[in-house]
Amino acid sequence: MTTGIELRNLRKLFEGHGHASWAVDGVDMTIGAGKFVTLLGPSGCGKTTTLRMIAGLEIPTSGQILRDGQDITDQPVTDRDMRMVFQDFALFPNMTIQDNVAFGLRVKSKRGKYTEPQIQQRVAEFLDLVHLKDHAYKKPHQLSGGQKQRVSLARALVTDPKVVLFDEPLGSLDANLRKIMQLELIRLHRELGKTFVYVTHDQDEAMAMSDAIAVMSQGKVMQFGTPREIYDRPANRYVASFIGHAHIVDATVDSKQADSLTVRLGNGDRVGVRGKADAAPGSAVGLMLRAEDLTFTDTAADAIGGKVVDSLYRGEYVEYVVALNGNSGVVHVHARTDLPQVAHGSTVALKVNPAKAHVVVH
Amino acid sequence: MRAFGNRSLVTTLAMSVLAFLYAPILVMMVFSFNDSQYTGLPFNGFTFRWYEALFRDDQMLTSIWNSVYVGLGVVVISVLFGVPAAIALDRYEFPGKGMFRRIVMLPIVLPGIITGIALLGFYLTIHLRLSLYTIMLGQGTALMCVTITEVFARLQQLGKSQAEAAANLGANDWEIFKNVTFPGIRSALFGAMLIAFSISFDEIAVTFLLTGRENTLPMTLWSLLRREVTPEVNAVATLIVFLSIILIVAGMYASRGNANEREA
Ligand SMILES: Nc1ncnc2c1ncn2[C@@H]1O[C@H](COP(=O)(O)OP(=O)(O)O)[C@@H](O)[C@H]1O
Ligand SMILES: [Mg+2]
Repeated sequence: MTTGIELRNLRKLFEGHGHASWAVDGVDMTIGAGKFVTLLGPSGCGKTTTLRMIAGLEIPTSGQILRDGQDITDQPVTDRDMRMVFQDFALFPNMTIQDNVAFGLRVKSKRGKYTEPQIQQRVAEFLDLVHLKDHAYKKPHQLSGGQKQRVSLARALVTDPKVVLFDEPLGSLDANLRKIMQLELIRLHRELGKTFVYVTHDQDEAMAMSDAIAVMSQGKVMQFGTPREIYDRPANRYVASFIGHAHIVDATVDSKQADSLTVRLGNGDRVGVRGKADAAPGSAVGLMLRAEDLTFTDTAADAIGGKVVDSLYRGEYVEYVVALNGNSGVVHVHARTDLPQVAHGSTVALKVNPAKAHVVVH
Repeated sequence: MRAFGNRSLVTTLAMSVLAFLYAPILVMMVFSFNDSQYTGLPFNGFTFRWYEALFRDDQMLTSIWNSVYVGLGVVVISVLFGVPAAIALDRYEFPGKGMFRRIVMLPIVLPGIITGIALLGFYLTIHLRLSLYTIMLGQGTALMCVTITEVFARLQQLGKSQAEAAANLGANDWEIFKNVTFPGIRSALFGAMLIAFSISFDEIAVTFLLTGRENTLPMTLWSLLRREVTPEVNAVATLIVFLSIILIVAGMYASRGNANEREA
């Protein structure tokens, strides 16, 4: 028996006004108990719909949802004991903050579980946890966006669910507050040991917070893995270019060794790549080159040649845009700011870190 | 205001519109206190005589009560059927939903006389005895559309995420209605009730056709007015104006108290 949540070939069709489309199109995934798992993808790729099906707010067209081995596909939302933090907070406007947080403890299905003094105490405890102790008697419209978000979080956590679902909870907050809340959520996940399923379109957020990320596109999971796997070893061109804006250069496999291979670019330059790839010599592949894995070098041997066409001063580093020789592609290079500036139009040689270069087949 | 150019011109215009609207009502109020048999100048002195006469006039009192009774009945009918209909419209997709939403306004758009004739024919066919209750039923079914439209609009504006949040926290359907849906629609519902009551209160076409022996206030006034505008009529009208003002203020207060709370 697997503990946690298992999605089996989950699909959702939305029909309306004469056309139908698959919002979620065959998602398979296992979300381990106690893990922080993120669904990442551009807007409209089916993240919210997947999350809502897990919560029971949307009925799957086909497929199964299992919880600790049991089929919960048809279990009503009210009985699922998974709490959702909504994108628009969905606080109850007519109730005080305190009553909002207490709501999940006062419903009939929880009756008898807590006495009123226990409820009061628990609510106070969780308002304290999200630093809102002083706002207990205010109404939601008197709070800022970040505060509302924390009420919504307290309201979910106070009922002690095993699973908490987040739908872009930080989407409406400004960058500073978002960073603070990210740390806060990581802390809560570590301290409470609950399963967090998190939806975001922000890859930095996903990378920083998650144990595992499912990169989604058009209702499908393109790759499911740890942030490191997804960043360093993207399974396909889509994931490679979506995460960290890698540049993918068309290449051909030149030769294969035991645990490395050599690829040839259109202009004849060769690049060594560590690791295995599912491609025979002579087949066309994509060579993923990230800006931080490229360095300027003086020796032309084992390097790829190009010409600087643009440079951007980024504060932390200088970003050069380099057009590879023979129109083989464009890459970006991050260089330390204390190195001498490379002039526009200069011919340069680039050294690729073989441990970080990566080949994508699809 | 600069866009409109001359500020004093705008003020004058606004004042004259207000005067045009409310001066006749004010005059009527003044005459209700005039110590004279006839509505008109000169002003002979201040008196409560017409109000006293009013409260001794059984026919008048009965018809006022009948109007209030019918109005309340209409409110009850339009709420009992209108709210569930609005919720169903908001929540469920069913064939012909778009059509239903448009057609529901028909009773308001149709001239009252047409609705009245249609209902009369229907009641006679099913052998329903005409009484205050047939008026209630007739007006109630027609005015239900006010409740449906107002409440439906509010439900659409509220969205479903609050109700979903409540369900997600383990609330059952009744708890969701009590804690989320009802507080959300309360002010819209109150507004719709006021509108339904006040339309019912001065409705004459449908009432005229559907009433049995009893008379409502507008019908009594109508028959009195065939002869002349008596000071007693002015007195009733004045009372109704004050009652309306109270209702309007109550309605404004209710919707303002709710406006902040609607989005959170
Ligand atoms: N209730 C709905 N009715 C019809 N189409 C919907 C509905 N909800 C979502 N969709 C469609 O399904 C797709 C996926 O939506 P969603 O899951 O909200 O994406 P995401 O959260 O990744 O932005 C989108 O194309 C969206 O337009
Ligand atoms: Mg979404």
